[in-house]
Amino acid sequence: MSISIDHLTKRFGKFTAVDDVSIEIPTGSVFGLLGPNGAGKTSTFKCMLGLAAPTSGTVRFDGKSLQPQTFEHLACVPERSALYEWMTAAEHLEMQKRAFKRYNEKRADELMQLFSLDPRKRVRAMSKGMRTALSVVLAFAIEPQTMVLDEPTSGLDPVNQRSVLKLIIDASAQGTTIVLSSHQIGQVERAADHIAVLKGGRIALAGAVDDLKAESKIVEAIFESDTAALNGLSSDARITRVEKTGRILRLTVSAGSDQLAGQLTSMGAQSVRIVDLNLEDIFLNAVDGGQTADIVEQV
Amino acid sequence: MPAVLTVDPRSGVPIYLQIIEQIKRSVALGVLAPGEQLPTVKQLAVDLTVNPNTVARAYRELERDEVIETAPGRGSFVRGNGSVEVSRAAASDVAAESLLQAVREAKSIGLTAAQIRALFEAALARWFPEER
Repeated sequence: MSISIDHLTKRFGKFTAVDDVSIEIPTGSVFGLLGPNGAGKTSTFKCMLGLAAPTSGTVRFDGKSLQPQTFEHLACVPERSALYEWMTAAEHLEMQKRAFKRYNEKRADELMQLFSLDPRKRVRAMSKGMRTALSVVLAFAIEPQTMVLDEPTSGLDPVNQRSVLKLIIDASAQGTTIVLSSHQIGQVERAADHIAVLKGGRIALAGAVDDLKAESKIVEAIFESDTAALNGLSSDARITRVEKTGRILRLTVSAGSDQLAGQLTSMGAQSVRIVDLNLEDIFLNAVDGGQTADIVEQV
Repeated sequence: MPAVLTVDPRSGVPIYLQIIEQIKRSVALGVLAPGEQLPTVKQLAVDLTVNPNTVARAYRELERDEVIETAPGRGSFVRGNGSVEVSRAAASDVAAESLLQAVREAKSIGLTAAQIRALFEAALARWFPEER
């Protein structure tokens, strides 16, 4: 199912948790929603899942607003475990079986084994990682068309984290649409094709992961003496950050690195180099930076 | 397909470009032979643990570059005609780009053309000792 989030705003009293967010997620895409704590990810998820009513704006699945039948195809792993402390894993699976026509018992057994979960164990006696794993098993056992995964690897060891990633990739290859949030950006970098970075409830940056990586660079120039005047550089929309340290000028750019490197050379730079950025760098830059380029002068 | 691919998702180089470059390199070196079947998009995505749409994008570009061809229902194969030439040219471009970067770096730290040429000769002598 495709997902369209259109001008979504969610306020809690005076606090605006989600501020005019629009996101289009095509069928079969894995969309990474990134942001520091309190950026609005979980509130966005709640609005998507019908757990909170938007203050304004809409969330649509295949062009339709959330309806009872949408839930048959929609699975989620919530940030905070929605499990019942007094129930066993097997009882949770039984509930899932009764609630979802699509529940696949064989698949559920395989997934329980994948994460070495004991069906007889009560949630009360489970570690954080086991709870996450059980939530993941419940979500994937219904073979949903759409998944909302809020930190689906929290508390898991690296082996089980990789298993969750493989499940996400496998489901995506079969056409499942997945919205994923994780503080482990390396996981999002592998699993997602598109991302958005939320900051203070607003989208600070969005795009295809590969395009963002291809375009986001640091252009570093060393000048003969103190750096040349920064004429016009800080108002260039492609430059998101300007750092100046004595003879070194470092520009973080969202596009046009080759051209800017040429420009710096013609400004008399002695040495210019272009450095690639990975998703973590791009994320941190989006969260750190403002609307216009900051000029950071360091001594 | 043999395990010839390793991508580094944490690198700043887009994953689909890493896949394209490595498949071309494998074809250029004969590790992947014309007619040989490639894994499906899904299989490669799961093996590398990367997004399937990213793998699909790499395959589309490899088809466009006439390195591979996809027969609906049968899978993707290394093309019989021209794939090796295209891949060798691409691998040569990658090597040329590395040399360009190296010269740029050498120049930017203040070396003269003569000094850079001497370094280049020394590098050639190391890798082609028989031609001395």
